[in-house]
Amino acid sequence: MNMQTLEYIVPTSIEDALEKLITSGGRFIAGGTDLCVLMQERIIKPAVLIDIGMLEELQYIRKTHDFTAVGAGMKIAEISGSELLPVCLRQGAGAIGSPQIRNLATIGGNVCNASPCGDTLPALIALGAEFVLLSDRGMRTVKGEEFFTGPKRTVLYENELLTEIQIPNQAFTGGSAFRMLGKRKGQVISQVNAAVWLTLNNGKIEHISAAVGSVAPVPLRLKTLESSLQGMRISEIKRAFIEEEVNKEIKPIDDVRATEFYRRKVTGSLVFDALTEAAGIEERETDGIRVHL
Amino acid sequence: MELEFICNGVKRNIQIDPSLRAIDILREELGLTGTKEGCGKGECGACTILVDGKPVNSCMLMAAKLQGTEVLTIEGLEGRDGTLHPIQEAFLDHGAVQCGFCTPGMVMSTKGLLDKAASPSVHEIEEALSGNICRCTGYKKIVEAVQDAGTRLMGKK
Repeated sequence: MNMQTLEYIVPTSIEDALEKLITSGGRFIAGGTDLCVLMQERIIKPAVLIDIGMLEELQYIRKTHDFTAVGAGMKIAEISGSELLPVCLRQGAGAIGSPQIRNLATIGGNVCNASPCGDTLPALIALGAEFVLLSDRGMRTVKGEEFFTGPKRTVLYENELLTEIQIPNQAFTGGSAFRMLGKRKGQVISQVNAAVWLTLNNGKIEHISAAVGSVAPVPLRLKTLESSLQGMRISEIKRAFIEEEVNKEIKPIDDVRATEFYRRKVTGSLVFDALTEAAGIEERETDGIRVHL
Repeated sequence: MELEFICNGVKRNIQIDPSLRAIDILREELGLTGTKEGCGKGECGACTILVDGKPVNSCMLMAAKLQGTEVLTIEGLEGRDGTLHPIQEAFLDHGAVQCGFCTPGMVMSTKGLLDKAASPSVHEIEEALSGNICRCTGYKKIVEAVQDAGTRLMGKK
């Protein structure tokens, strides 16, 4: 890359990393799959990098009394391959990049990069995930759906590190699924993506949470849709109904990957497909790309 | 900074400029030019190497991250006496090499796959190679070569 000077710090612990963040004035690097591209294209030219990707303290998946805790340093490949995690999150992770990228990229990086089309983001929001943010001042927990404030913008302060993602126990009941659309099947950034989590009671929707990406400045939770689906018999939910309802909530734009027109055509359909799979109904035709685990 | 890692079975201890990526030190410092830089952005896979058995893009891997790892590049597949690895032989026998630029990356992704799945399906092969682009072959012969390589490797066990 031929950057003249770069100081590369490998901290020995989370505490050390937070301290170095302040004393060195540098920035964190986890897997580096986003940062390296930005550095290669000279969009960013950091003088100091602090490698948190190698910290063992950020690599874990463990069940606690109320939630399953995922260390932010877990690789995307590990997320998609883990039977300890809900389906929609595994599928979302499996949709990222390529096998090579998934072997380096981290879930913390995907979250903090905060792209509106990040593939783990709708899943995390639909599952009710919470993010643990740590700084030298202390710790706070932020709900996934409140973490993102704009394209590539989050509530993270400059001195904060995302250490853990907590997925509540409830997210492991019922079913979930993720869908995306892209210009090809592999190695593609999503034009639209969607995740749905739900539980059924006697064939009726008891709980439902749906989120979509790439159709608003941030990954969007579809609260109005959720309300209208509450209590509905799953067999009565039609694709056209979902398409109409979803279009009332999303705010897609034309961008390099797709047009507003196209996104309005497909988003609702993707949500319907994800809903169908989450409800355990056998797929007939699907518009979206389904990541098989 | 100091970097210590195992490269193709040989322990290496070198001083590196920390701004460099793995592909830079492999090609420039160690003279292992088999690994190719196609896009520099992790989109083509020509730079694929194995780090601790996992295929990664060496063009988006900071060299410092190689510390303490075991790296395998295309040069590491050959036997000491220059005999080709069964994957390499299968690629040649099936006409899966045209210009050859994607080939090291394709072969390394294949090695990563066959080390984990002895007899992958076509779908699994396509999935494993989904991060490797080829502009010449149309992929068909590459997939056939991978299937055959799997069979050859099984025969060796």
